[in-house]
Amino acid sequence: MNRICWKLVDIVSRALEPGERDIVRGDFAESQQTGPQALRDVLGLVARRQMAPWHNWRPWLILAGLVVPLGLLLSLLSNHVASMNSVYSWMYFNNWDWSLLQHRAFWIVLAQTIVLVFPDILALICLSWAIGFTLGDLSRRTIPVNGVLFCLVLLFGALVAAPQYMRLQVHFMTLGFHPRNTGPDPVSSLTLYRVLFPVLVQIILVLLPSLLGMYKGARSHRLSLPLRMILWVLALGSMAVLAAMQGIWWVALVTQSRPWFHPIWQKPPWLLAIAGPVMYWLATAARKRHSGAGNPACSRL
Amino acid sequence: MLGEFEYLLLTAAAQLGEDAYGAAIRQEIEDATRGRCSIGALYTTLDRLETKGLVRTWMGDPTPQRGGRPKRMVRVTAKGVRAARDFHAAVMRASRGVSWASNRVGTQP
Repeated sequence: MNRICWKLVDIVSRALEPGERDIVRGDFAESQQTGPQALRDVLGLVARRQMAPWHNWRPWLILAGLVVPLGLLLSLLSNHVASMNSVYSWMYFNNWDWSLLQHRAFWIVLAQTIVLVFPDILALICLSWAIGFTLGDLSRRTIPVNGVLFCLVLLFGALVAAPQYMRLQVHFMTLGFHPRNTGPDPVSSLTLYRVLFPVLVQIILVLLPSLLGMYKGARSHRLSLPLRMILWVLALGSMAVLAAMQGIWWVALVTQSRPWFHPIWQKPPWLLAIAGPVMYWLATAARKRHSGAGNPACSRL
Repeated sequence: MLGEFEYLLLTAAAQLGEDAYGAAIRQEIEDATRGRCSIGALYTTLDRLETKGLVRTWMGDPTPQRGGRPKRMVRVTAKGVRAARDFHAAVMRASRGVSWASNRVGTQP
């Protein structure tokens, strides 16, 4: 028990600044505290350190203005991508037949499916990374709390908000354009594709890239401010376009404007979405190359 | 005006003088209050006092007793001494005539 507690003390104290971590560990050694006492103490200190920035208005603004709306929008986008992909997954996995491989038509359809699906998947991964980077960069000191809250918003979005929103969309769409289209389709009637698949898609395409983005964003002080600002604008601009597209979709539905009522308005703005990560990748690659060449003038891009 | 824990910390640091550092101050406070003093409360209050200019802190030398880790040394500044004196005077004034301060029989039920 004592050993486990000391191991936990080690892990938890990593949330402290390196200097303070050393001082606290020294205090524990000197006062010969037991593992549970040390764990309680370090948890208390970490909690106080994490709460301290929240006395300011900025973390609250980032929470209310970015973490919650962006988390919900990403959930919605992820749910949309999952519902598109669930049909293809069902088509391939639930109706698999090895003899299909011998048919040329199968390969043509597979290639078409990949072309259709891949940009959305790539855009969602890039967008999630860019949003995570922006959050990590803008809320460096509060990122552990904001990161946990972002994960909770994503979970809420995946399990409650996005399915409800999609249901609402389908309901109004049925009223507006397809009055005779009733009853669940064979794919979404399966619990695997209705519940588990969207959560899995969200974990793989949204949660993991955004956590990686947060990690990079929290350490982005090595990048120049203009570059970071371009990344913020691209990430937030993509989400603003996405939100506007949702608005257009609803207006088209309400006004029954068929030319505007198109699935493209539900898709991620993929050129904007991938621009951020590509820029980051190019900038860090160039920085590594310059620092490798030993040019101190280029150590900051 | 200081808070009571800030006053306790300043008093402990002043009493320890040159030997004032995190763990020693904590021990001094625990002895004085006969209660527990958490590391979280200690170090966040120290930060606050330092921001107010009432103490100055720096990293001390590592010792083998601490597993080769440094101490956070503390010294009370002149401003800190004045603040502690004002707090003490205010407590003494406020306590004048009350039963627990004058050792007479109290008026409580």
